[in-house]
Amino acid sequence: MIFIFRRLLQYIPMILVVIVVTFLLVRLAPGDPTYILVGEVGDESFVRAARERLGLDKPLYTQFLIYISNVFRGDLGYSYLRSESVAKLIIDRIPATLLLVLTSMFISAAVGIIIGTIAAAKRGVTDLTLSILSIIGISIPYFWLGQIMLIVFAVWLGIFPLGGMVSVGHEYQSFLEYFFDVIYHLTLPAITLAVFNIAFITKITRGAVFETMTQDYILTARAKGMPESRVIFRHALRNALIPVVTYLGFNTGVLLIGAILTETIFAWPGMGSLLYDSIRLRDYPVVLGIFIYGSIIVILANLIVDILYGILDPRIRIK
Amino acid sequence: MNNRKVEHTGFFKNVGMQLLNKTSKVFKFNTRFTAGFMILLVVIILAIAAPLITWHPPLKTLVGKPFTPPIALHPFGVDDLGRDIYANVLYGIRTSLIVGFSSTMLALIIGILIGVIAGYYGGILEDILMRITDMALVIPQFLLALVIVAIFGQNFQNIIIAIGIVSWPGIARLIRAEFLSIKERPFIEAARAVGLSNVKIIFEEILPNAIPAVIPYIFLQTNTAILLEAGLGFLGIADPNVPSFGLMLNTAQQYLVRAWWMAFFPGIVLSIIVVGLNLLGDGLIEYLNPRLRKKGKP
Repeated sequence: MIFIFRRLLQYIPMILVVIVVTFLLVRLAPGDPTYILVGEVGDESFVRAARERLGLDKPLYTQFLIYISNVFRGDLGYSYLRSESVAKLIIDRIPATLLLVLTSMFISAAVGIIIGTIAAAKRGVTDLTLSILSIIGISIPYFWLGQIMLIVFAVWLGIFPLGGMVSVGHEYQSFLEYFFDVIYHLTLPAITLAVFNIAFITKITRGAVFETMTQDYILTARAKGMPESRVIFRHALRNALIPVVTYLGFNTGVLLIGAILTETIFAWPGMGSLLYDSIRLRDYPVVLGIFIYGSIIVILANLIVDILYGILDPRIRIK
Repeated sequence: MNNRKVEHTGFFKNVGMQLLNKTSKVFKFNTRFTAGFMILLVVIILAIAAPLITWHPPLKTLVGKPFTPPIALHPFGVDDLGRDIYANVLYGIRTSLIVGFSSTMLALIIGILIGVIAGYYGGILEDILMRITDMALVIPQFLLALVIVAIFGQNFQNIIIAIGIVSWPGIARLIRAEFLSIKERPFIEAARAVGLSNVKIIFEEILPNAIPAVIPYIFLQTNTAILLEAGLGFLGIADPNVPSFGLMLNTAQQYLVRAWWMAFFPGIVLSIIVVGLNLLGDGLIEYLNPRLRKKGKP
């Protein structure tokens, strides 16, 4: 318990820092901060009302206190363009983004671990091919890969839809039909997002399996006459999983950014599409809101992995 | 670590000698490094020669009929506004490399400053600086850079500064770690004993020995910076007066069904640059880490 409490103490200030950074950036920016906090639209009276509500005519520390208390109450301002509160706009989009991130995490872990283990077990030609493939997989930018996938599989071959989360104007007979339609739309974006991590996890798994194969207990297992496949999957792989889990957990931030870029290509209705539209419309309150929410999601993900880690491996708690 | 020869001579002489020694050996033993180096060399030559090998000005509209597919006159095709994609891609390499290297320089300056203070002086200062670094590592770089450019204005300088500002924490950590280990060695004690000032010890004794470990990460950071710039451009955060891969892909997004070449060519060139930098960085890390070095001994 003390350990969890200590971790919380470590991470909660980070959220505060994100908010302070946002506040400072807005005040340091050239021009009237009102336009950033309200958006570049709105008539005179709306801007004046907003300025009063945000206390922009008061001294800086009062403004800061007002801002902090607003953010902690979940009030990130109002999107004039969309006539909706920023918080609601973003929270509505979070499930779609999480669905994409988690699906691609699952795909990349499954595929990466399988390929990585095979690569570690059978060295030689596969080794070289794999390192070439992994360099390419790591290097291709998400957003371009997504565009190419869309051109090839949706435009040219017509196997997958051009975008969106569900078929527009379709009447669903059952939940199952709806479910499969979402999966169908999810396939391309999830694979796009997974490629980078597949490459990385393959690399990590290969290295980890390799390392464990030199351990004494593997020798013992072999000496007992255990079949090689069993040695690899029962003993070596198990220990190789820890670095994979660590990698995925601590890279939620990278995945979230990847999702934001991927969503834009496939018109997946998550935070990324919202961000893209908000940048185009110069709807700054939403852009700032996504920064704050995105950072909080990443911080919480790190916190969860850290705590899980302590539970799985008691040695870490002491640190 | 233990294979690195520790000497104390002048900063540039030392770093220069180490680099020269290392590079010649790296070439012999590391295919990754060599491949990455070749790719980057070609890319840099293309970027420098851009005005000589393109025959349309970039950014100029209506040099060709909009949406012309690749033909001899326009090898990479023409975009929606009649701009030559080939010219834009070649000038885009320049933008990418300039943003990559200059923002990395900025990140290096900030990172070294913070890492040096934390690693050398220690104590409360170190605690505070490292806490800040840890926090900065958790905040998503991309979103922070995006917010900075969005509210400070979308121009070339702001993009470089924003990327530099969000990229220092990794470098600061590396430098601190190097300083922590090097400052315990006997020759530093000797330097103190003869009464060298802290500044001299830092810049003439420790830093030259710490830099080689950071060099691979300079390439990897340049890579990250290039991808950051392209990613920002892809979301529409870019300087419209500079040819950039991100912005090209952003425009291409609206015409994926109609004009595949608008997305294909900028993306493939961007990917090649990234592959080159990754190979270079990975090769150097592998070379500098004796545990990973398989073939031969230098």
